[in-house]
Amino acid sequence: MTTFASISLMTTLASTDVMTAKLTIIAPEILLFIGAVVVAVLGLSRAPAVRRSVPLVTSLFLALSIAVTAYVYRLDAVYAANVPMPELGSYAKIVIAVIGILLVMVGSSSVDRRLEEAFDSGRAAFDPIRVMRGEYFAFFLLALAGAMLLASTSDLIWLFLALELASLPTYVMVAVSRGTRRAQEAAVKYFFLGAMAAAVSLYGFAMLYGATGTLDLIVMKAKLAEQTAAGGLSALAVLGGVLAILGISFKLAAVPMHFYAPDVYEGAASHTTAFIAFVAKIAGVLALFSVLSVFWTSEGLPATLTVVLWMVAVLTMTLGNIGALLQRNVKRMMAYSSIAHSGYILIGLLAGAAAGGYQAALFYLLCYGIMNTAILAVLASLERAGEEVETMEDLAGLRQRHPILAWMMAASAISLIGMPPLLGFFAKFTIFTAGIEGGQTTLVIIAAVNSAISAYYYLQLVTVPMLGTPNARTEGVHTIPSAWPRYAAVLCGLGVIVLPIGVSSLVKAAAVVGSENAASPTADSSDNQLNAR
Amino acid sequence: MIELASLSNLTAQALGTFVPAILSDATSNGIPASIAAPELRWAGLILLLPVISAVLCGLCAAMRVKSKLPGLITAVSLVASFGLTLWLFLSLSNADGPVAARTVHLFDWITLSWEPTHQHAATRWTSVTAPFALYIDSLTLLWMLFVTGLGSLIAIYATEYMESDVGKGYARFFGCVSIFLFAMGALVMGGNLILLYLGWEGVGLASYLLVGYYYTKPSAVDAAKKAFIMNRIGDAGLALGIFLIWVNYGSLEYSALFEAMQGAGADGASASWTREAIPYLIMLGAFGKSAQFPLFTWLPDAMEGPTPVSALIHAATMVTAGVYLIARLYPLFELHPHALETVAWIGCFTALLAATIGMAQYDIKRVFAYSTVSQLGYMFLGLGVGTSFGAVYHVFTHAFFKALLFLCCGAIMHGMAGQLDLRKMSGLRNVKGFGIISWTFLVGCLCLAAFPFSSGYFSKDAIIGQAFASDNPNFNFLGWVAVLTAGLTSYYAFRVWFRVCGGPTKYEAGDEVHSDADEAHDDDHGHGHAPAATTHHAAEHWHPHGPRIAINAVLLVICAGALLAAVPAYNAMSGGSNWVQRMVAHSSAFEGAQLHDAHGAEHAHHALSFTGIQDVHTATSVVASVFGMAGLLIALYLHLLNRSAADHLRNGLLSNSLTRWLPIAMENKWYVDEIYHWTFRVPLWALAHVSHFADKNLIDGVVVNGVARLPMDLARLFQPLYNGVLQGYAATMAGGLALILAWVFWIWMQGV
Repeated sequence: MTTFASISLMTTLASTDVMTAKLTIIAPEILLFIGAVVVAVLGLSRAPAVRRSVPLVTSLFLALSIAVTAYVYRLDAVYAANVPMPELGSYAKIVIAVIGILLVMVGSSSVDRRLEEAFDSGRAAFDPIRVMRGEYFAFFLLALAGAMLLASTSDLIWLFLALELASLPTYVMVAVSRGTRRAQEAAVKYFFLGAMAAAVSLYGFAMLYGATGTLDLIVMKAKLAEQTAAGGLSALAVLGGVLAILGISFKLAAVPMHFYAPDVYEGAASHTTAFIAFVAKIAGVLALFSVLSVFWTSEGLPATLTVVLWMVAVLTMTLGNIGALLQRNVKRMMAYSSIAHSGYILIGLLAGAAAGGYQAALFYLLCYGIMNTAILAVLASLERAGEEVETMEDLAGLRQRHPILAWMMAASAISLIGMPPLLGFFAKFTIFTAGIEGGQTTLVIIAAVNSAISAYYYLQLVTVPMLGTPNARTEGVHTIPSAWPRYAAVLCGLGVIVLPIGVSSLVKAAAVVGSENAASPTADSSDNQLNAR
Repeated sequence: MIELASLSNLTAQALGTFVPAILSDATSNGIPASIAAPELRWAGLILLLPVISAVLCGLCAAMRVKSKLPGLITAVSLVASFGLTLWLFLSLSNADGPVAARTVHLFDWITLSWEPTHQHAATRWTSVTAPFALYIDSLTLLWMLFVTGLGSLIAIYATEYMESDVGKGYARFFGCVSIFLFAMGALVMGGNLILLYLGWEGVGLASYLLVGYYYTKPSAVDAAKKAFIMNRIGDAGLALGIFLIWVNYGSLEYSALFEAMQGAGADGASASWTREAIPYLIMLGAFGKSAQFPLFTWLPDAMEGPTPVSALIHAATMVTAGVYLIARLYPLFELHPHALETVAWIGCFTALLAATIGMAQYDIKRVFAYSTVSQLGYMFLGLGVGTSFGAVYHVFTHAFFKALLFLCCGAIMHGMAGQLDLRKMSGLRNVKGFGIISWTFLVGCLCLAAFPFSSGYFSKDAIIGQAFASDNPNFNFLGWVAVLTAGLTSYYAFRVWFRVCGGPTKYEAGDEVHSDADEAHDDDHGHGHAPAATTHHAAEHWHPHGPRIAINAVLLVICAGALLAAVPAYNAMSGGSNWVQRMVAHSSAFEGAQLHDAHGAEHAHHALSFTGIQDVHTATSVVASVFGMAGLLIALYLHLLNRSAADHLRNGLLSNSLTRWLPIAMENKWYVDEIYHWTFRVPLWALAHVSHFADKNLIDGVVVNGVARLPMDLARLFQPLYNGVLQGYAATMAGGLALILAWVFWIWMQGV
């Protein structure tokens, strides 16, 4: 009671200071918002050179936001902002911006490519209504800003708005990513199902408000702890929690909200697929951090929530992996792979911050972003008769014509399986050790079995490009004119191979999550974990 | 009789004398404690130079250098390595004091340690350390001197011998030779058993690569595989032995190990089976590498490699690694007298078996290959009966004369277009250019036959004499077998020489070529490369041609070495001390050298007392010389004076149904290969097929694929849910949501 009183007192009295502090820590997001406006305007320019500079400007704003994040999170304002997990942003925002830059590289020339070619050749006159590139990258930055905002959430309204900011632009991006009906169909499905999921989570938030009478996460946590101490959580709070988790799990593409993923990933252009796979996932995880931290007590999560999350995790990884087995379309396969990886990340969330689970989940997101982007960047680098390369058959014998791309794809696929000494191994290792530390040994065993199953389809991404023989169909496969997706593929592929050298510092840097709300000291457990390795 | 008496005095001094001063210098427990000698770090260069040479040869191979550069690099680096070894030897040996063992720590290599736990008795030790350190004592120096010395000479020889492969396998050949020299150096100089094992495997690898050097020839590939696999059997024994040494003695570093072993000898009582098994496992390793029964069949096949390799690896150096291993671990073997006796029996049996096979072979390289197996058997006999000095001295002399014999075979093969069949060559001593070969060949044969006062004579008699001097009647029996074998040795050595170099001049060109394509060569520089019937050279236009300067010079130098190897024994005869004996006495093989002395000249009653000669070594040398001369004379009659008598003898044996098995079995190597084929290979092959069938159909077919089908079937089961219809997705999602919520409610109902 006293804590609650003191906290609420502090909030009211120091509200102006808190506002300043909040604005300070969202400086990177503000910067990206400015960037979105600038990029949208630049994209409408008549001068082709200016329009072509849009991806570069986008990257510059992202790079700036990295610098600003690094600066801002050294200030005391971080702790004055009254945020449940104040230091979370310092890692999460940088990861988002870094992967964002790689994603800009992958998609730099794809949007409007045909249209720009038509303008260049004079077949069409410049028409500001028809150009999309500026718009696309503006949405790109807005979605990233939304994901970043989730790292500094302080209340449920903020959480919901940030979640929607991370989601809504992606619907448009899917639609405009390539000029086919399938993309538009995918966008429509994505939008409607997304709206439904948002409704579910909003319903859950409303129940939480009903159960506690507050929207502020810190106050809510105190209220819920009070309820627990007084003999158990109210049914309303638990139901609110369950609905909020299930609604947010749409972003993660977790069961049962995962159905959209294969269709949407397949329908979007490869570079947009890479974008939604990563950005939606990190947005969902960050949102879950906030929601779960509210429920977390020294005894762990309430039993109901634990069981629900446990079931969701098991079903997600299992259905994801077995769904991928039958796929011949690489993007669809990567959609199921994305579902499966969400299941692995949920282990970290179940293990809890104290056991290093949140830290492991954040590190896992970084690794997943790199590996997934590598595979899709290879796809985005290739085309066959002007169409995207999507199927396994198109990749047969890729090594003989584009050895570097084939090697990068092979390295990333092996890494996705979790084979040492590549990056994916360390990602899985970290999250599995956290899971064991957090008492989720059964879940870890199920995840290990799932990893074995996943080898079946990931190894196809190794054997088909490396050992397959080119056929008549692959004769038409060429690289696209722009070299940027290839550079992105090489960067990501090298990252998969080289980053394991610095893996312990990368994991250590992720140990910023939940330092305040953790029931037992986080620092100790993360140290133990590092020592154990 | 007077002559005999003077001879007996001379040999008594040569073989039996031991300078007491040297003995007293040694520490009381036998092995001088090693001294850390950081100032000798430069000795690491002896190992580094071959590594550099191997890397450079690899670069040459990668850059397709089409000159003799790789040979030059290797020769220079090996000569430098020899020079350093010599310098090390000279700087460590002073006038009369012993060479104390030095430990030179180069860098940390394997360092493991852990917290002691008291739960398990087996975890008494809390660390495994194997630094990259050198252990330099007189045994090391002795071995390194002839390894690097002969290595240099043979590399020089090979620069000429391998010239037809310049630009093709030349760099590969010399790269492998460099790897071999590094590995052999690590084996001999390494300060712990792990480093020895590294070298042990390294020489095995180099041997494999070089035996299979002509990898387009199926027989060479088979021989390489055979050598490697048979060595693996031995290596497994060695590895287990090393593990058990650590378990029992807690250290793998020689200096600490020898101390621990002396302690173990004192307490005596606590002999567990793990400790008893150690010498037998180590022995298995030694028998594999040194081609002793039952693991000897790879060595004769290894002659598929280029002849310099046969000379260096399969005669002079690598195959003596087993002798080195047992000599180095002699303190261990002395704790297990029965193990030493086993060594003696196996060595003696192998010596006899291989000698009888060697008698009946027609390929001269094979004769000498079996001769190597036989002579290695002598060395193990020496170790087993307790004279490590005799064994090491025989290694030393054998290294020279056997290398010489192989290099002579190689030179003949080189000049005679690959001809190795002793029935198809005769009287080569009179062929122009073959003079040096013939006479150095004769020296080699004399040494091998232990002709009186040659180097082989002294070293072999040191072994046989010790067998007779022993109180153990078994050893006396082995001595008789060894004497008989000496007679056989003499016979087969001179059978080759009289056939090939003696008699009327007559020869046929061989049809084997050193390289795959010789069309580019003409007579002016196509040295020795088989104008085979298939090439454009007509057989009538072919002439044998003698070797040039590199080969001849090396033959002469090694011939001189083979003769000079007797000098230590002469020195002992003239009242000095035997240098080799002195070297052995200050190493871990010390005890064996001392034993030899204990049963020395004053031993009145011995197995040869019936000859009326007091001194056992004199008696031995007389008896062995009689057998040797008999063998020589039989060879002289059958293969030079009356060659048809040999055929008559063979036909006579073949026509009698009671004796016909003998020549057939000998020519077919006692069917050992066939026995192995039917007792090991065929059952294993059958088992492999059964396992393969079970794996393919049962494990893969039923279990693995059965399990693997499960996810696939599940995938097909869930496939219809992803039908692409928006309403369907929404309904399924809502349904899933509803199920979870219903389940949560159900839990509540249960709980409340």
